[in-house]
Amino acid sequence: MINWIIFAFLAPILGGLIYGIERVVKARMQGRMGPPVMQPFYDFAKLMDKRPLMIHSLHALMGIMYFVAEWFSLFVLFLGHDVLIAVFFHVLAVLALVIGASSVRSPYSVLGALRELMHMISYEPFMVLMVVGFYLVSGSFSINDILQSEPLIYKLPLVFMAFLFIIPMMLQKSPFDVAEAHQEIIGGPEIEYSGPFYEAVYTGKWIEYIYVFFFMFLFGGRNYILGVILVIFAFFFVNLLDNATARLDFRKMVKFSWIFLIPLAALNIILLALWR
Amino acid sequence: MGLLVFLNIVTPWVLAALIYYAKNDRVTNITAFSALPILLVFSYLIYINHTTSLIQTPEIVDYLITIYDFGLLGYFLYQGIVKKSTLVTSLAIIQILFLIIVLLMKIHSDIPNIYVDNLTILFYFIVALVGVPIAIFATKYMEFDERGKHKFVAIVIWFLGVMNFAVSVNNIEWFFALFETTTLASFVLIGFRKDEEATNNAVLALWMNQIGGVAILIALMVFIHINGFYHFTELLNHPLEVSLAGLGFLSLSALVKGAQMPFHKWLLGAMVAPTPVSAILHSATMVKIAPFLILRISPVIKGTLLAKLLIITTGYVFVVAAIIALTQSNFKRILAYSTISLLGLMMLSAAVGTPVAVVASIVLIIFHAFAKGFLFVEAGVLEKVFHVKYIEQMRRLIEKAPLTLMFIFFGFLNMTFVPFGTFIGKWMMIEEASKFLSHGSYIILILYVGAGSAFLSVLYMKVLGVSVRKAHGISNIKFFPLPKRFNFVSIWYYVWLLALTLFIAPFIADFVVPIANGITGESANIVSNHLSLYVGNSPLYFWEILGALIILSLIHALPYFVKFKVDTVHPYNCGEVFPKYMGTFNFECVKRYENILIAFSIALFILVVVLGGGLL
Repeated sequence: MINWIIFAFLAPILGGLIYGIERVVKARMQGRMGPPVMQPFYDFAKLMDKRPLMIHSLHALMGIMYFVAEWFSLFVLFLGHDVLIAVFFHVLAVLALVIGASSVRSPYSVLGALRELMHMISYEPFMVLMVVGFYLVSGSFSINDILQSEPLIYKLPLVFMAFLFIIPMMLQKSPFDVAEAHQEIIGGPEIEYSGPFYEAVYTGKWIEYIYVFFFMFLFGGRNYILGVILVIFAFFFVNLLDNATARLDFRKMVKFSWIFLIPLAALNIILLALWR
Repeated sequence: MGLLVFLNIVTPWVLAALIYYAKNDRVTNITAFSALPILLVFSYLIYINHTTSLIQTPEIVDYLITIYDFGLLGYFLYQGIVKKSTLVTSLAIIQILFLIIVLLMKIHSDIPNIYVDNLTILFYFIVALVGVPIAIFATKYMEFDERGKHKFVAIVIWFLGVMNFAVSVNNIEWFFALFETTTLASFVLIGFRKDEEATNNAVLALWMNQIGGVAILIALMVFIHINGFYHFTELLNHPLEVSLAGLGFLSLSALVKGAQMPFHKWLLGAMVAPTPVSAILHSATMVKIAPFLILRISPVIKGTLLAKLLIITTGYVFVVAAIIALTQSNFKRILAYSTISLLGLMMLSAAVGTPVAVVASIVLIIFHAFAKGFLFVEAGVLEKVFHVKYIEQMRRLIEKAPLTLMFIFFGFLNMTFVPFGTFIGKWMMIEEASKFLSHGSYIILILYVGAGSAFLSVLYMKVLGVSVRKAHGISNIKFFPLPKRFNFVSIWYYVWLLALTLFIAPFIADFVVPIANGITGESANIVSNHLSLYVGNSPLYFWEILGALIILSLIHALPYFVKFKVDTVHPYNCGEVFPKYMGTFNFECVKRYENILIAFSIALFILVVVLGGGLL
């Protein structure tokens, strides 16, 4: 219990580290040096030092609420023991982000918010299915039980494969970075934030890293080493995908998820249910 | 006990008559207000000496109801001829013929005709707590350029009495009479404004609901012919002998009343009526008869093919109505579609019929009643005070109507987010469905619930996103003074929803679970401990409930009070000049498939009739 609390408290730092490592990895894949691993924390210090500017209070507040909701949903994931509920708590963070982004009269921000909703349509039903798959293997929705069951990946290979493609949707990476599409809507939901308020959104994203990769870790079951290997593999795979592909239309994202990924996961679960 | 039930049914009628004949503002207002404590006290008194009770009624009532039936059907026939609607006329004739056949077949039975159990008491409470405030709201609403205030309020209050009666009958023939009375009520209320559109929609509602009436009559014929009984208690006492065909037709009438696709048109047509009509149809009465009926028969149909077909049909409606709701631009229609969608979920969980699923269904009924009543009341305020009806007009609502937007925000949160009741219903359903998965079935149920709730969340966030859009620099939000009665009703719902959510664990464990146990006869594995809720092995801790509630309250209420003291800037624009108007996704692409989706729902519907009814 106490480990979980400490882990959840340290999540932003850990997430920042992962983010830093990711930037290095990505740079190496592109044949660049890349920034130092600690770069996100330097950014943090710099942003906190900036003169705070905002569009209006509602917008700034929602940036902070995004961070709070994201962190809270992580606590629910670690301490609540019910993974299904944790999936639904994540929607709170999406709500704060969407409300904040659409509260300003900026086309980029509003468009980003609407695309964020498309992201949600794509990954939310899958996450529910995935957790139900966890239940089917381990017999419980509780994290502790899942972490003591046999490795889930043996029984849920198709769900695992589909989740590899869901991660880019959740973390907004190519080919599914439609919400924050840097080239056309310049950051999407977070474009209007600056200074400390942007810092809140930025740190919220780090926490989301932990949130997403923890689900990947759960695939390892009681074999923690396998879990770590899976996380590292997923990390490299997602970054490779990010570097190698261009952004897709959001319609394609929704279609890909609904026509390919969700049926794949459902098929796995049906087969598993019949097998037992 | 019998007296209390009698009073609970008759008092609204007396009050309605008083309002109707007095035709005096003061009398109307005071009577509407006084109905709230009166009905509440009656419901409470019935609740505290609750023993599931069968109440004998004098023989004469049976005759009176038969006479009333013919009078009612005669009125439908008359309306069909006057409004030149062949459908209404022919359905009325069919109903009269079938009713005569039923009366000829009917055998005398000594089983009491009134049956009051926990489920009935729950509906008494919903009618008192959710229904009456809408009547209070109507007293003010009708003062804004509308005619016939007294008549309108009288009909609304009379309707509440009818609803109280409908949920307490045991005799299915009586149930038919009350079912058709609610049809009459919706016909009168929808056609209240008497213009052409209102009349057309009223006729539409009339014939669609008449189909439900015909289905009940067929069910009655089947029950009497095959099993020889026509009481709900008899159905429940002989679960193995009951004819599936009869049950199929009975659930068909539930699907019609619950506005499930393809019969959703009548509920949408109801949007032309004054807004309190929608509020009352959607929240406390009328459509709630549908899940009520399925809950009544759920122990009998549990596990049968009929139940599975009902699950497939209503689950399909849950998802598809949510998708079609995305394409709508009229605020009231959005609410209507989300009602249709959630009614599907309620019936789905009622059809599953395990103790936890029944608890989920009841929780959904309660919270949906409160939240929908709330939202429609706010829609009425928007319409009358701020003249806003469409999403496009909702832009910058946060500056124009901050208080109303705050209430709408809260209502929307209640419909989908953690930790509110509607979420808990969905969560329980997924947990319950996961248990079935181990025998390799019902995966469709999980997909339905997961997908439907995602689409509904998107719908609500989309509408909220438009309303909170706010010009740069304007920071002083002006609170427009609203009429006192509007505020009373809004705050009434707000406080109830907040309180129920905060104490949701004891509320479900101590109030809802006994009801579900009464229905299913087994005990649901749901307990509360220190305000935390445990469903089986899965906990929802109080700190989670409280934390989510605080975050959501901050999101929906704090923007009005927090003012950061920092410099403001203009939005980044790439130096371009753009019109200060941003639309929102209207999901045009779905409209292309709308007909296909509805056609598929018709196919499912026919499947329920043919396979579920055991006609093959």
